[in-house]
Amino acid sequence: MHKNAKTFAIMPGKNRSKKKRDWNELIFKTLLLTPAVLFLVVFMYYPIEETFRLSMTRSTGLGPTVFVGFQNYVRLFQNEEFLMGLKNVLRWAFWSVVIQIPFSFFIAFSLSVFKNRITKPLRVIYYLANVLPSAITAMLGRFVFAPRHGVIPSLANKFNWQWLARIDFLGDPKLAFWSIFAVATWAYCGFYVIYLMANIEQIPKDIRESAQLDGATPWQYARYIVIPMTSYAIRIVSILCIVGSMKIFDLPWLMTTGGPGYATSTLGIVLYKSGFVNWQYGRAAAVGVVIFLLSLFFTIIQFSLQRKESDL
Amino acid sequence: MRNQPTISVPLGRAYPVRSKLTEIVVTAILILLALAVILPLVLPFLFVFKTRLEYNYNPWGWPTEIRWINFIEAWRAIRIGEGLLNTFYVCLGAIACTVPTAAMAGYIFARYRTKVTEVLFYFVLAGYFVPVQMVLIPLYQLCGLLNITDTLPGLFLPMTAFGIPFWTIIYRSFFTGLPNELAEAARIDGAGHANIFFRIMLPLAKPATVLATLLVFMGAWSDYLLSLIMINSAKNYTMQLRIASFMNQYGVDHMPRYAAATIIAAAPTVILYIIGHRWIIQGTLAGALKG
Repeated sequence: MHKNAKTFAIMPGKNRSKKKRDWNELIFKTLLLTPAVLFLVVFMYYPIEETFRLSMTRSTGLGPTVFVGFQNYVRLFQNEEFLMGLKNVLRWAFWSVVIQIPFSFFIAFSLSVFKNRITKPLRVIYYLANVLPSAITAMLGRFVFAPRHGVIPSLANKFNWQWLARIDFLGDPKLAFWSIFAVATWAYCGFYVIYLMANIEQIPKDIRESAQLDGATPWQYARYIVIPMTSYAIRIVSILCIVGSMKIFDLPWLMTTGGPGYATSTLGIVLYKSGFVNWQYGRAAAVGVVIFLLSLFFTIIQFSLQRKESDL
Repeated sequence: MRNQPTISVPLGRAYPVRSKLTEIVVTAILILLALAVILPLVLPFLFVFKTRLEYNYNPWGWPTEIRWINFIEAWRAIRIGEGLLNTFYVCLGAIACTVPTAAMAGYIFARYRTKVTEVLFYFVLAGYFVPVQMVLIPLYQLCGLLNITDTLPGLFLPMTAFGIPFWTIIYRSFFTGLPNELAEAARIDGAGHANIFFRIMLPLAKPATVLATLLVFMGAWSDYLLSLIMINSAKNYTMQLRIASFMNQYGVDHMPRYAAATIIAAAPTVILYIIGHRWIIQGTLAGALKG
């Protein structure tokens, strides 16, 4: 932006109208920045401050608020539902990175290396699932997994596979998590696929050509060229995936409302239930702070990765 | 450069050696996966034309006749017409608030860098990392104070605040990348700050504006969590809320009706996607690669 400053300096008539021009500029800048700053102060920074304050109080939104220090946080970490929610989001993050990212990488790599007339339009189909709003994804998830009437139990009945028909995908505490996870994999992989594919396609052509001249097999090409060259994108997508997992709410809430018991509870669900079902504002705010700290933690990791990358 | 080897393979197919067999196998896997994506969207059509009795008797057979009654019932239960209107209102509100605000802020951050604007930029940038979950309770209370609880503006105003940081970053990097000569020429011709911005720079930023409009629309269209908190009365329900409440009220037991609701719920998004998938994918990638 030094360029700008210089062109300002050589402008004719600068000295005479400097004061007036500066005023104009100042007014112009203020006018253009005000809406954004106002929106952020009112609907983001003030609520953030309120979240921290509320998390230190016992409040129902109606009666008096009582300052209780860190009591809400202490109680949270003794609370079974919260601990289950915390465990679930961490488990969700771990398995998303371990399953969804490599799976998406496989698809993206195959789409880019085995590009032919059939595979070329498939990318558009994969991404469709990602575009669907989560309410509809959940609806489709129930359509497939619902007991007795869902697609899977109904098919199992048709072929008389009693072992499959007996499985309750959303009602079994052990299975419910994985059923929702399967739906999420269906829904989210599309994004990772197009993102990774865009990065794979950015590998310079001469590198691809030299790999071809050396007679590299697809496996060697992936192992020695694509993975090292897109490792940055893979890491970014993994962090996005982890940060997203901390906030997961829609799918488990709509498919099982966190049940059976607390089996599919997440931090978002704990927050929603404490805040808008039990009207414990203080507790809900404390959960909000925990979500924030977890996201912040992983975001800082992302930034330190980026910094290392730019050092190279 | 002179010693560049002559390439014996046709250009444009510069990929590693691939045997025909692997290609066929991988293609087959990819097609199967694509089918798995589409199948849940197609299967409802097998059930939707049956009566409940017919479904219970023979769920997987072809329907004996085409009946529209399930569509009619599902449509009535969801009242998707009103839902679409509400959702469009929210989408337009979010676009009208987010895009100009972000464009203006992004322009100042790109073209008038001073210490103050840099500090303000970091203030905006930090907002990008705030998860909306964190502030749900105070947002709800705030809307009570502002008297916009259970109204559609009460939904799209917070939505806007959470969209502004990202789009300000995008606009800032876009305006930074624009050449300076045009604005300079206009300035010498005596154009003021406002003229330069509205007449010259903003039209040049059209790609960013198209991108922002499209993706803000998609975001507002699919939102569930904020709507769930902010909207209480059924007449203000957006599409996603109506779909969710249909799911909870009627359940899966009446499968043909549920299938009809699924089709009705998914249709607008799928149609939008079929029309605009090229821009949607390009836009998402541009946003993701820059952000």
